[in-house]
Amino acid sequence: MSNNEFDVIIIGGGITGAGTQRDCAMRGLKTLLIERSDIATGATGRNHGLLHSGARYAVNDPESAEECIKENMILRRIASHCVDPTDGLFISLPEDDLSYQQTFVDACRKAGISAEVIDPELAKRLEPSVNPELTGAVRVPDGSVDPFRLCAANMLDAKLHGGQVRLHTTVTGFICEGDTIRGVHTRNLVTGEESDFYAPVTVNAGGIWGHDIAALAGVNVGMFPAKGALLVFAHRVNNMVINRCRKPSNADILVPGDTVCIIGTTSTRIPFEECDSVAVTPDEVNLLITEGAKMTPSLSATRILRAYAGVRPLVSSDDDPSGRNISRGIVCLDHEERDGLKGFITITGGKLMTYRLMAEIATDAVCRKLNIDKTCETATTALPGSEEGSYEAVAQKIWEKPSMAQKAAAARMGSRANRIKTRDRLDEALICECEEVSSGEVKNAIERLDASTLTDLRRRTRIGMGTCQGEFCACRAAGLLAKAHGCIEKERADLADFLQERWKGNFPIGWGDTLREAEYTQWVYKHVLGI
Amino acid sequence: MKLQEYTLSTHNFEECMKRTVCTAYCPVLQVNPLYPGPKQAGPDGERLRLKDPFFFNYALKYCLNCKRCEVACPSGVKVADLIQAARIKYDKSPVKWRDRLLASTDFMGSLAHPVAPVANAITGLGITRSMMDAMFKIDHRRVFPKYSQRSFEGWMGHHEKEQTVFQEQVAYFHGCYVNYNYPRLGKDLVKVLNALGVGVQLLEKEKCCGVAMINNRMKVEATRNATHNVAALSKAVDKGLMILTTSSSCTLTLRDEYPALLGVDNSGVRDFIMMASRFIFERLENGAQLNFKPDFKKKVAYHTPCHMEKLGWGVFSEKLLRMIPGVEFTMLDSACCGIAGTYGFKRENYEASQAIGEPLFAQIRTVNPDVVACDCETCKWQIEMSTGYTVMNPISILAEAIETNKD
Amino acid sequence: MKFNTVIIGGGLAGLVAGISLQKAGNSTAIISTGQNALHFFSGSFESMEEAPKRVTDLFTEAGIALHYNPGVRLMPMGTFKKAVLSLEDISLFPEPKIGHKALIVSLTGYHDFFCDFLAEGLEKQGMQCRIKLLNLPELEQIEKSPSEMRSVQIARTMDRIWENVVREIRILLRDEDTVILPQVFGLNDASVLSRIRQGIPAQVIFTGTLPPSVPGIRTQMLLKRRYELLGGTYLMGDEATGAHVYDGIVHSVVTHNLGNHFLEAGNFILSTGAYFSKGLRSNPFEISEPVFGLDVEQAPDRSDWYNPEFMREQPYMKYGVATDSSLHTLRGGEPIKNLYAIGSILGETRPELGSGGGLAIRSALAAADEILKPTAE
Repeated sequence: MSNNEFDVIIIGGGITGAGTQRDCAMRGLKTLLIERSDIATGATGRNHGLLHSGARYAVNDPESAEECIKENMILRRIASHCVDPTDGLFISLPEDDLSYQQTFVDACRKAGISAEVIDPELAKRLEPSVNPELTGAVRVPDGSVDPFRLCAANMLDAKLHGGQVRLHTTVTGFICEGDTIRGVHTRNLVTGEESDFYAPVTVNAGGIWGHDIAALAGVNVGMFPAKGALLVFAHRVNNMVINRCRKPSNADILVPGDTVCIIGTTSTRIPFEECDSVAVTPDEVNLLITEGAKMTPSLSATRILRAYAGVRPLVSSDDDPSGRNISRGIVCLDHEERDGLKGFITITGGKLMTYRLMAEIATDAVCRKLNIDKTCETATTALPGSEEGSYEAVAQKIWEKPSMAQKAAAARMGSRANRIKTRDRLDEALICECEEVSSGEVKNAIERLDASTLTDLRRRTRIGMGTCQGEFCACRAAGLLAKAHGCIEKERADLADFLQERWKGNFPIGWGDTLREAEYTQWVYKHVLGI
Repeated sequence: MKLQEYTLSTHNFEECMKRTVCTAYCPVLQVNPLYPGPKQAGPDGERLRLKDPFFFNYALKYCLNCKRCEVACPSGVKVADLIQAARIKYDKSPVKWRDRLLASTDFMGSLAHPVAPVANAITGLGITRSMMDAMFKIDHRRVFPKYSQRSFEGWMGHHEKEQTVFQEQVAYFHGCYVNYNYPRLGKDLVKVLNALGVGVQLLEKEKCCGVAMINNRMKVEATRNATHNVAALSKAVDKGLMILTTSSSCTLTLRDEYPALLGVDNSGVRDFIMMASRFIFERLENGAQLNFKPDFKKKVAYHTPCHMEKLGWGVFSEKLLRMIPGVEFTMLDSACCGIAGTYGFKRENYEASQAIGEPLFAQIRTVNPDVVACDCETCKWQIEMSTGYTVMNPISILAEAIETNKD
Repeated sequence: MKFNTVIIGGGLAGLVAGISLQKAGNSTAIISTGQNALHFFSGSFESMEEAPKRVTDLFTEAGIALHYNPGVRLMPMGTFKKAVLSLEDISLFPEPKIGHKALIVSLTGYHDFFCDFLAEGLEKQGMQCRIKLLNLPELEQIEKSPSEMRSVQIARTMDRIWENVVREIRILLRDEDTVILPQVFGLNDASVLSRIRQGIPAQVIFTGTLPPSVPGIRTQMLLKRRYELLGGTYLMGDEATGAHVYDGIVHSVVTHNLGNHFLEAGNFILSTGAYFSKGLRSNPFEISEPVFGLDVEQAPDRSDWYNPEFMREQPYMKYGVATDSSLHTLRGGEPIKNLYAIGSILGETRPELGSGGGLAIRSALAAADEILKPTAE
């Protein structure tokens, strides 16, 4: 096979694409993943980061609930360094119908989700931030999962199995031969370089943009873009996931994730044109705070770090002729069967929680087409970083007496943190002080994890995700990036993009300490540094 | 309530704007690279510790709790409180016997003062100091404060009656140091207040304020003392008495550390606790007269103790000293002397302690005053030991400068 | 305590006002909530197109040398920016052409100085640049703490070992006519700067780092020292929490530390800065002034406070406390006759006074003049 020939090409660097690439690669296929931007830029990186127990779906969608709890247990094993097993509470407030609790618990148990009714007093002790007026609480195995880390780990494992990844590369067209797709035309958006790649099967894992990719191939996948807005609070207010025990609604999940916590979400249908530039409106902000404060009153007086929105790649049932997969949420379309277009598969719908299952389904379809008979091993094989258990143990194993930044690195990288164990003390220098990211960890992300911009670095290391939102770390990291790729001009533009991207999430909640920080950032960059 | 009208966070840690101003003024950082610095130890670390106590860093023990970071912080972040609270909450290592010994100032005092000459002789012996160094890691170069044979409380017992003649009364929280080591300061205060027509009472029973216990993570013991003291202070306040103090660290502890670090509610008494220098300054400002000695002459250099700096009350001591005819006043640069209570006594901190204080010592030697004035007893030991200059509380200098009919 | 004037806010504006008043025999106190915006001072006073003698005198008397030279300065990311009145640390040039060959010197492990960006910026102007990193054993102590390779900590060491740096640079220097160094020198003593300049046979340009700003901290320290030497009372780490205002006049200010010991004065100056200094407070509903509840000019709808483009001018930064022509503040539309607002709390409500450092100095002097004006009685 020549350099531009593969067994399978996967379009889309979200969790579905990354998971599919990993599965394909583990089954021995030669894989290429193409992503027009960076990893996890779509819905993957724009949700709660909730490790669903499935409880939320138990009443209305038992099938999804069962999928969730199975995948939940799998992710705890294979992706331990991405998962924080916090457990979750479903609380009833005085205005909620407490009788729903029984319906809920019954449904959970039926789906195989452990759901333990606990005394409201115990709930308050377990999670002191919870509204003290609560009338009931159920404990479920919810948790949080870092989608960036999970996506990066899948992609890294694919690469360790021989996979190739092309980021910042867009598919400009398909190479067709009659009714068969043979490959893709691509353009690198950074260098402008155009390349063709060939494979007998191409997988469309573009999330909401899968609609456009399918259209490019001449087939129609009817998507239903639904915007969901979320708010990030500046520190962990809660240590357990908090949900409302009622029919799923707006802003009723508060998830502790790494150093922050996230409230969401809303749901609004938006036109396709807006998918690339979703903004959070003042009304959404108000709704999220008002509803969030009902579950956790302290949110009404907690600093908000940023607002963001994602677009769920829901598949519209009207436009799907097969209709088979809708109820499960996961949609795998073999376009040969559906549209008579050979060599093309779309995997969509689903959710972050079920990405592995989606990848398995898609990979099974790929293997059928390639007549390969290999079993899926992704449910039992740990991701790189998750092989050695807790980050506490990992940190102590690598460093004996780990510093804060080393502990934080172990928490982010799992056992891969041994990659940044260095004899060079200068690599210990902190780049991001809020999230404790060292120079060594930044360099590792540049060298081993395909980070080429500051925003890429943010997704891989958490630089700029802390309280100062990149005020100090951005220019320090820009210095390291500039050294790595050697183009200052480009890095200047990158720095401006990064600051703009941070501001985009700040101004919708631009008051109080956030506005103070924003004013200071303006001052530092415009007056002190002079960019 | 309007949502998000204010934001609140423990010790204001979310108000940190990451300007690193605190680190620029941290005395420890300048001498000890093992200390992560107030910003990282405080607000930055707090976010990680909230995620997982695993992120607690034992190097936080190097914090002096001098509060200079808080004074410098333009955002009102209680950086030192964050650090001390984290030490109390997350440091699960047992408190060392040495630290318990150093922190139990009133227990030690009550044992030692009745046998003061013996105790002083023993602690003064080279062999004792070497033994303490070897056994407890109390640095052998440290000079121990001397114990007084007669406690201040004992002295007051004999003079109680005289005080009742004054119509106006205040209560005096003397602290362990005045009681066991240096009753003269208490007597000086009584002299000055009497000269102003104010009588002095003791609290029903005061216990050590607990500052050293807090800094040595002895929360249970500190809380016990705090609860006791707040009750005793309340009784005095109920009688309509102001509570005067002569030690800046006791004052800061009684007023601010009780609620912030121990969760002991002192709201009913806080505003009645006042450094005597402030009380006296206010009297003089409002026209009260003291009979100053006409020939009093003294070159005084004033060192603002860190906790006085934090209280923001150095200005009262300064202005009070400047009011004394015959005082040639020099304000020393704002700097930590390095002792920070029990901190400098620990062998592992001795070098850092002396290095922190060196700029201050150098300035004192340059100014070459007759006496250094300062409102803190541990600063006094440190400066006297390190420079040889005599250190006096401003109240004692004032007492020396006035004439009363008893003299 | 009683003063002629109480100044709330101890940054550049507050100190300039305080020094001017003390010099005229007007007794003052300054309440300062911690250290201030001078800690990230760029070294050049914005919108000071002239250099009035009373301004340069005021700084010179405080031991701060200013120089006035309309032109440009080299910024830390390699760009050039208009600059006029500046600290001696800052080199000013008539145009963005500073030499032919530059040696850019930084320190190993120091990420707050942007050599590559500087080099690229200068190369655009036709200069040849060479970057060298010094590996100084004296800095090992600081390097051990990963969070502390920061300007101030380095500067403390540099004030001791600058001679070694000069020696190292002399060895490194080939045919360069310019040496560019980070602003990590002269924290306590600005004379180090001129001695370095004398010691290196090329022009030496000290260029900014990420905050804290070493020249800024020195400026703050010297102004404060000068103020205290003139008899001013600087209350560091205290915060005005309220005031007694009646009959259109402020009678006293309440502070956090002093509690029921009020600060009384005939006149009051508010120089508490804008948002990050907490002179202005914002919540989702309004922007307000927290001490006196003064009128703040602002757009009523929060959506209008921001420009979604980060690099564009931000409307919220123009908002400020409303004043009359003599800088008396307004409350409910009525002037408070003895309360003046100066410095960045004015936002851009008084464009004729300039912005940044220029605004601070001009408004401070104007308020001081207003207070010192002989009254009719």
